[in-house]
Amino acid sequence: MPDAVFSKRPRRRRILVEARIALKAKELALTGTDFPTADSAALVELFETHGGRMKSIAMNLLGRHADAEDAVQEAFLRIFRGAARFRGGASLSTWAYRILVNVCYDTLRRGKRRPESPLPEESELRGGTLRDLPLRLAIEKALEHLDPRERTAFLLCEVEGFSHREAGEILEVTENTSRTLLFRAKRRLQKELASGGAFAPAEAR
Amino acid sequence: MKADCRDLEKALAGENPVLTAAFEVHALGCAACGRELAEWRRISEAAPSLRRAWDSPDLLPRIRQALAGESVRAGAVTDAAPRRRFAWVPAASIAALFVLATVGLWVFRNSSGREPLTDHWRTTKAPLLTDQAIDEVDAAEKVYLASIDNLSHLAEPALAGKTSPVLANYKEKLVVLDAAITELKASIEQNRGNTHLRRELLAVYQEKQRTLQSLMKEVKS
Repeated sequence: MPDAVFSKRPRRRRILVEARIALKAKELALTGTDFPTADSAALVELFETHGGRMKSIAMNLLGRHADAEDAVQEAFLRIFRGAARFRGGASLSTWAYRILVNVCYDTLRRGKRRPESPLPEESELRGGTLRDLPLRLAIEKALEHLDPRERTAFLLCEVEGFSHREAGEILEVTENTSRTLLFRAKRRLQKELASGGAFAPAEAR
Repeated sequence: MKADCRDLEKALAGENPVLTAAFEVHALGCAACGRELAEWRRISEAAPSLRRAWDSPDLLPRIRQALAGESVRAGAVTDAAPRRRFAWVPAASIAALFVLATVGLWVFRNSSGREPLTDHWRTTKAPLLTDQAIDEVDAAEKVYLASIDNLSHLAEPALAGKTSPVLANYKEKLVVLDAAITELKASIEQNRGNTHLRRELLAVYQEKQRTLQSLMKEVKS
């Protein structure tokens, strides 16, 4: 029935616009929390549920704690701006991550080059220990040689544990494209790491 | 199913679990494939260690403060918007649409690079979308937006309290269009000279206007 409301015109621009709207409608169809405002519990819930993961993604894309926190703040502002016209149930998570990734891309485009990552504190490591540090550092360095979308696909799927469906929605690509991006990312990483001798210590261990 | 060295890429891609399992069996007896598979797995095993977590107690208060500032600005804009219901709204919408379309066409012709309008354009290499043109587009957009807002206010009573599926669809579509407009405007704010985004915004405005007009017809019938 909703399709009947949309007028159908075979023009590329219209198709693009309607595709964008359909995507948005899909997001709206998902029920979840209210949109965040300055005083709302929804803001706290969104921050507590996804803030940590958002910071981690931003940190791995931007390389500095301060830039990562700025990116998360800007993402929340853009969520607010996007939601300013309506209230009601809607799932924000995938949309929030997509906005965050776009904020990070914008930051990188503005010329804030990704600096060398500082050595992590023990408390910063999740799912690993300092024993993994050499390989982890080698992966971080090798990630810099990847195409931004491949790098993001790797961070979302392998580091943060998103499914290809979720990563596809965040990257605005299909599930299969997400799979392809991850495959390319890992293949390139494997070559970089092998040529840099990063796998050798493990074999000796 | 049997796999051999030629299946390496497909097996690593992991799209076919049967092939991957067969390749794992093959890798047990093939040193080169075994090494590739082991390296592949080591990357996946090490990847979660790239997750970063640190305390940032100031971040949530900062976000709250920024959102509060944004609310104040948004409220100021909303309060300033006229909420009157005048009969001239449809005519003004059409006039504003015409102005916007004219400016859009002018911008499009200049930015497409197919037909530079003057020799002066060729020689001076002036920016494709000048500040003056952007201001004209912004001004036309404001008038058009105000007209559409007035149409929206006319439609509000029709939508409130009606629960028919058709009206619900209109309501949902308008919400989606508003979200698309807000998102596009945020993108344009980042890049004021992006003609593609402006054309897309114009298309969404036009869609909203058509939707509101259809809605009013639906209500009357």
